[in-house]
Order: sequence, then structure tokens, then C-alpha cells
Amino acid sequence: MTAVKTNYRAALKALADGGVNFVVIGAYAAVLQGSAQITQDLDICYERTSANMKRLAASLAPYHPRLRGAPDGVPFVLDEHALAQGMSFTLETDLGDIDLIGELSALGPFSQIVHDAVRLPLFDGACLVAGLDTLIRSKRAAGRPKDLRALPELEALKELHESEQKDKKNR
Amino acid sequence: MTREEKKRLYELVQNPPPGSKIEAAKKDGVDLTLNLRRLRLTPTERSQEMDNALELVRELQRAWAQINR
Repeated sequence: MTAVKTNYRAALKALADGGVNFVVIGAYAAVLQGSAQITQDLDICYERTSANMKRLAASLAPYHPRLRGAPDGVPFVLDEHALAQGMSFTLETDLGDIDLIGELSALGPFSQIVHDAVRLPLFDGACLVAGLDTLIRSKRAAGRPKDLRALPELEALKELHESEQKDKKNR
Repeated sequence: MTREEKKRLYELVQNPPPGSKIEAAKKDGVDLTLNLRRLRLTPTERSQEMDNALELVRELQRAWAQINR
């Protein structure tokens, strides 16, 4: 097993440059909005159209996506067909661990997640990121101890954001 | 973020309104000064910090694995 040098910025840039319709969700989305958590993976919710799955697979291909934790020799090729066969994939890539999630039942369809997302400037472009409201909702819905532990910080962060926005309006 | 905005957010964290989520988080042990610092960064800078921190974690994990081999 070779050590991976994590570079999620490069992963996000590759997806954006590849024209993939996706929203960053999970702890990395919180980090992009000011959370002080450290997360070991990048969670992406992707649109499940054939064209988008093709773009997604093509964007990640140079980084050798493989099934995380699978024994050596398990055949796997990330392409639109593989993506069509499943909904969620936990991958190891040359840029770090990436989870591809096709659907989040607690948050509704991809179109709803996009609707609720915020567009953040990243690298030279922009990236859709699940907003704090969405993240709070998903953590509550998941309800596992690790999700519930994240709630106080996210809720406080939301208040700080609201206060910041209010300041900007009053300026 | 302007100097005034930074000051206001800092005061908000130091003296949160009673019943606010900020107060609840502080009582819960969340160090919101870490969030204040990150809010001053751009999303790209936050992403860079995250990648750097994670790389350090991975280095430590690798070192630990070597020691225990």
C-alpha cells in the first residue's frame, strides 16, 4: 500500500474543471464555511444522470480511484456503468479518500441539495457546498453520536455567519 | 472581513447572548476562537489549512504504524 498525499483542493478542482454537477457535503463542507473540525475524507453528492456520471468518472480517473478497504485484486473500474450500479461509493484515490454519494434521503433529491447549496469561491472558480442549514439538518437526521457531537459547533457557526451577514447589510 | 466585523464577532463569542447557540456551544466546550480565525480566511485558504492539517495527521499515523511494526 502506498501512502497518499491528501489534496482535496486538487480533487475539487478536477471535478469542477471536468464539468461535474456536484455538491460538497459532510464535514469538508463545514470546514469550507469555517468549521475547525478535521475530516479524513471528502464527501461529494453527485447528480445521477448518465452524462454527469461519465464526467465524474473521467475527472477522477487520473487519480486511480479504487474501492477503499477492498482486498488487493478486487476488480473495480470507476466508470458510468459502475456508478449506475450503486448509489454510494467509498473510494481511495491518489488525492485522498473520497466518498461519492448519489442520494441523501434526509435532504431530498440532488436538485433540492443544489437549491439549498451555497456557491463558494474556490481556487480560480467556484464550488457548490451544502449550506450550514443543510448540514445541521443532515446531522440531526443521521442522529448518530458523532453527528450529534458536531451540532453545537455548526449551530454556533451559523449564528456567527448570520451576524456577519447582518453587519455587511448594515455597512 | 473588516476590522469592525472582526471585533464584533469576537465580542459575540466572548459575551454571547443568553440562550444563543453560541453560548450553548461554548458551554459544550467548543473553542469558537478557532472558528473566528477560520472565518477570517477565504474558503480556498480554509481548504489549504484542512489539507495541511490532514497531511500532518497522516504523517503521524504513518510514523505510529512504523513504530508498531
